[in-house]
Amino acid sequence: MKTRFLLPHKYKNFGWLFLIPSTIFGLFVFFTNYEPEFLKLPMFTFISQGMPLSNDGVVFFSTIKTNITNELAGVFFLLSAMMVAFSKAKNEDEFISKVRLESLVWATFFHFGILLIGMLFVFNLEFFTFMIFNMFTLLILFIFKFHLALYKIKKL
Amino acid sequence: MKNNLKIERAIKNITQEELAKLIGVSRQTINAMEKNKYVPSTVLSLKIARLFNKKVEELFFLEKKD
Repeated sequence: MKTRFLLPHKYKNFGWLFLIPSTIFGLFVFFTNYEPEFLKLPMFTFISQGMPLSNDGVVFFSTIKTNITNELAGVFFLLSAMMVAFSKAKNEDEFISKVRLESLVWATFFHFGILLIGMLFVFNLEFFTFMIFNMFTLLILFIFKFHLALYKIKKL
Repeated sequence: MKNNLKIERAIKNITQEELAKLIGVSRQTINAMEKNKYVPSTVLSLKIARLFNKKVEELFFLEKKD
């Protein structure tokens, strides 16, 4: 079947292969604040400022020296999760596409539902922490729901 | 919408897997259609009709709630 916006199937396994280590790495970096010295590098930025959440001036298109461990973990996770989520299933046909769409709607609902709850009940710096996780919930929920649905129909 | 795919498949004596291969979809799609959980696209319905040498109306039927 002709599909738009989906990667070839081979990227799915590739994605799974990287998703597990990148999840572990991401959580490890988050909880331990692991930032090795050699990853402190000059980075070109679109927008930056002295300290997060401070009142230092905003600077556009400058180069700053910063530790990129967080960024590496995030990029690594996002790329592998996107490969898992948006590679074609082995037999992507119109029925699987429908299941994909329904899973995406379900995931979007819950993702923004969680955001709504967070907006109302999480405050200050904790909201910032909450948002870090909320950046990834859409993809995580979609991967979970879609593959659960595929597993269920496979068993029929 | 209802259909009699299962009956036609039995008459032709082919499995879900074989039918799926012949029209280029997954076995799960055939299964979902037979269980009335999935309404196929026009293209897919026409392909199935051609395979069974029937008119689409002889395979798929509207229900009251449609």
